[in-house]
Amino acid sequence: MKSIINYFNTSIWTIISFLLVIVLILIPLASFLSYSFFTVEGVEIIHQFSLINYKEFFIDEIYINTFVRTIFLALFVMFCCILLGYPVAYFLARYAGKYKYAILLILIIPLFMSYIIKIYMMRSILGYSGLINKILKMLGIIEKPLEFFLWNQNSVIITLVIILLPLIIIPTFTSLDKIPSNIIEASFDLGCKPFQAFRHVIFPIGFPGLVVGGIFVFILALGDFVTPQLVGGTSGFTYGKIIYSNFGMAFNWPFGAALASILLFVSVFIISLTNYLTKKKS
Amino acid sequence: MTKLENVTKYMMALLTALVVTTLYAPIALTIFFSFYKTRKGKVNWDSFSYEPYTKLIFEKQILESLLNSLYVGGVTVITSVAIGFFFANYYHTSKGKMKEVLQFIIFLPFLLPPIITGLSLLIFFREINLPRSLNTVVIGHTIFVLAIVFKIILNKLETLKPSLMESAYDLGASKLQAFWYVLLPNIKLSLIIAGLLAFTISLDETLITLFLIGNDTTWPIKLWAKMRVGFSKQVNASVTLILILTSALVLLIATIISRSEKKIMY
Repeated sequence: MKSIINYFNTSIWTIISFLLVIVLILIPLASFLSYSFFTVEGVEIIHQFSLINYKEFFIDEIYINTFVRTIFLALFVMFCCILLGYPVAYFLARYAGKYKYAILLILIIPLFMSYIIKIYMMRSILGYSGLINKILKMLGIIEKPLEFFLWNQNSVIITLVIILLPLIIIPTFTSLDKIPSNIIEASFDLGCKPFQAFRHVIFPIGFPGLVVGGIFVFILALGDFVTPQLVGGTSGFTYGKIIYSNFGMAFNWPFGAALASILLFVSVFIISLTNYLTKKKS
Repeated sequence: MTKLENVTKYMMALLTALVVTTLYAPIALTIFFSFYKTRKGKVNWDSFSYEPYTKLIFEKQILESLLNSLYVGGVTVITSVAIGFFFANYYHTSKGKMKEVLQFIIFLPFLLPPIITGLSLLIFFREINLPRSLNTVVIGHTIFVLAIVFKIILNKLETLKPSLMESAYDLGASKLQAFWYVLLPNIKLSLIIAGLLAFTISLDETLITLFLIGNDTTWPIKLWAKMRVGFSKQVNASVTLILILTSALVLLIATIISRSEKKIMY
């Protein structure tokens, strides 16, 4: 009798769990995907299958161009984050000693600090009469304030790097921190030069963390629409901003959904590719 | 240590200092502007005043949005920890392959760009004729933080020995008693950490919220709306207060984690 109750219980739990994720996650995703095949007339959404949204994406150059440009932008942001974040994570894991967790915490806190404010404040830092121009002028490096920091792609890149940088540092630090110092010493004892030790011992162990962080930065930079809206000006618009505009003023939800579906496919492809590659390695 | 290694070490220390400065620059400026006035790009050093903080009491819109954010954060904590515990427990006890599928689905909203989570819920709510409100925002936040909450609780469950619950049952505890007196005290800390983290994330979530918000705005959305007309000093003051709150929350989480790790070690 007890086993029947138990069996009954577990299957009830299973059903409830699946119902929850299906209703909260899968059905919304499915309805969003199906919207990409609908069309709009005025403020009415026509629930009829059509491929016209996808056709428009491939026909009108501006969408593909923006998409490709945004992918490169996100890759560049990821590259900058790795370039800055890896040495920091390495420094913390190997040289910061007892202060490493304290410094890590200092680096994590900005991640939770107002996203909107950070972007907004970048205006006062990068702008024509902003902080950077003032410092450069004070140091006598420039005479006239520089204009190329704000209202273009540069400002979008700089802002995204500052916002997303902690996301690279955390996982990279976590995997580098796992390396016992005696492994590194052993490689030195076996005659490794410092660079060889890094290339063959430290880097491979820290690699999975770097990949996780890199993916997070890439995906978030790819889908961001607030940053280009606030600091991008007219030339710094991204794919995410186009999607968002279709849900606002333009009110073309089906077309926005189609653009977002393409973003979804690319994201899923990249996530599963890295998942596959890192699993194969380990 | 070779000389070369020493040089790279100091270079990296310098870079770390530079990165910390850069990450805090926007935040430091906000705090600065809440105390000092600027005119034509020049700081007036005599203008120090904490008046914006006392004046904040009269900013009804900002206060209302702050209360809304606290409401959304609070409800998100309850729903995400409850559902997260439920899933973690299911994942931990079930043996089938389906649990991997479940885990994958839970992680989707966390891994995909937030814009996709936001607009898929927006479309879903339109299709079922659910008007947008703070509660739709709660649903969005809940499924966004669910993966983290789930993972934190699951990690804790996996450190517990199976004999723990078995012995409770052997001693005659009912399911509810075993849960309340044995399981809950053991995973209490992980629930608190998960809840605090969910609250901290919800408080600042913007990208999903922008799609799901109705007439009542949360605090980040209020900032987004105010940005077009420029910030008053009161807005900067409210930002500073929230920054203090989030830093305190993160520090609290870190303290709990490091304390509980020490407990395991000794």
